Amino acid sequence: MATTPLAQALGNLDEASVMESVRTKLDGGEAPLDILGELQAGMDIVGARFESGEYFLSELLYAADIFKLAGAPLAEGLKAAPRNNLGTIVLGTARHDIHDFGKDIVATIMRSNGIEVIDLGVDVEQQAFVDAIEQNSAQLVGISCLLTTAFDEMKQTVESIKDSGLRNRVTILVGGGPVDQACADYVGADVYCRTAQDGVSAAKKALGVS
Amino acid sequence: MPGAAENAYKVRERRIRDAVALKSPDRVPVVPNGPAWPARALGVKMTDVASTPEVSYKRIIAAYTGLGDIDGIQSPAYDVSTLGIQWLSRVSVPGRELPDTDLWQVNEGEIMTSDDYDLIIAEGFASWLERYYVERLPGTIEAFNRFVKTVPDALALCQEKGIVPFTPAVTTIPYEYFSGGRSLKLFLLDLFRQGDKVQAAMDAAMPVLIERARQTIRGLDLVGVWVGGWRSASEFISPRLWERFVLPYFKQMVEVVIEEGAIPVLHFDANWDRDLERLRELPPGKCVLSLDGKTDIFRAKKILGDRMCIMGDVPASLFALGTVQDVKDYCKRLLTEVGPAGFILSSGCDVPIDAKYENVRAMVEAVL
Repeated sequence: MATTPLAQALGNLDEASVMESVRTKLDGGEAPLDILGELQAGMDIVGARFESGEYFLSELLYAADIFKLAGAPLAEGLKAAPRNNLGTIVLGTARHDIHDFGKDIVATIMRSNGIEVIDLGVDVEQQAFVDAIEQNSAQLVGISCLLTTAFDEMKQTVESIKDSGLRNRVTILVGGGPVDQACADYVGADVYCRTAQDGVSAAKKALGVS
Repeated sequence: MPGAAENAYKVRERRIRDAVALKSPDRVPVVPNGPAWPARALGVKMTDVASTPEVSYKRIIAAYTGLGDIDGIQSPAYDVSTLGIQWLSRVSVPGRELPDTDLWQVNEGEIMTSDDYDLIIAEGFASWLERYYVERLPGTIEAFNRFVKTVPDALALCQEKGIVPFTPAVTTIPYEYFSGGRSLKLFLLDLFRQGDKVQAAMDAAMPVLIERARQTIRGLDLVGVWVGGWRSASEFISPRLWERFVLPYFKQMVEVVIEEGAIPVLHFDANWDRDLERLRELPPGKCVLSLDGKTDIFRAKKILGDRMCIMGDVPASLFALGTVQDVKDYCKRLLTEVGPAGFILSSGCDVPIDAKYENVRAMVEAVL
């Protein structure tokens, strides 16, 4: 989608202009799905600025929050519209680990980039990941942790996904404080995500939309 | 202190102080850190360590001194209540909210509301904080006070063994307190939507934190103190916000610690790569930058090597997943490229609870 003033305003983190523009468009009878598309284009600008080093996590979160607030009035109108999610990710913090802020940040930023998030919360059982992948036909799995003791849980979760015959259907992303490439290799994940935006980029790549 | 231990203490303290002053000590000092691994290494119940400060410090000192010729321990005394104290957060504890063998964990949530900024500005940080602990984190201040009473004994035990209790206390900046109490995501949004108010609350809090740091250093006659940065790391916020809400407060705290005659150890977890240049503004030859494996320590040495001692940074994942040879190889690289002058070998942040014993020993033996 070509850049529009609304997309640009979100890209510039101009909250007041974004809210005003969405209101005007809705009042003028524009289709909520089109407005949502412009907001998602704004998030693409934000993502690009993050990747170029102009924006940081603080800006990603602020943009995602503006997106959420601006998108709220569209919800009613979008009910009738066809789903336009790029794909679905099952997300959770590994069993025995209750840290959620990294996982929550990823959820927020994935959603604002058009990816449906099935958030399983923290301290998630291996089978819960498997069930959620199946029930939601998810293409992506994100497992996070802040404790090294969760590495084995992550590994066993990947094993469970493998045992259930779903491994080839999903791309598995891992991230969190102590996670690095060595950990990703150890647990058998596909991608190590250093940042939330790494996760979005990897997700879009896996979904063939990058 | 018995004669031999006293002599050993002097040698080790000199070694550490030389490294801080960017000199070349007789060998690189090694000063490990981490309160949870000792419990598991010695087969002590996590519930006992988490609930009894005396058990905690005795195990920490026993486990690390048992590894061989260490020079000091960063935090020989530790209690989980400190997590709630400094991040205004609930903490889940083994035997209470968690299984007996688990590690304690900060259970972050929005306990502090945005109205609290107004209260801090209006009534002052000290009285607000006192009420906050009592009303929203019941039991925390009592546990912390019980712990504080044991710290002098922990320091004395270290010294009896000829080991330097390097940084047994923690100071930090208001950013860390507020980001924990609000939860990081809401706090970052506050910086955009009500930045002036957040800054006013920080300015109200800072003199209180400074005075507490002064009293702690004087009361315990500390060699060094952590000036901790976790969520305030460069990777989380843009330069514009970092310059306003982070750096000025760290500068103030570092200056106060130096003024009190202690060594400020910038315990900086997560990634600070972007702002390493700015740390050159801190007083030369007085500070330690302690990294956890997420900041590029080799680049940090190039940028800051003539200004401050670097400490670290054997990563948690290497202790848990690596082999002895992996640890030896990494330590050798640290000793030659980040050391030998102006360098202290240590774990990146904590030795993790599930570190392999032989891997921790390999780090300690690397300096010999």
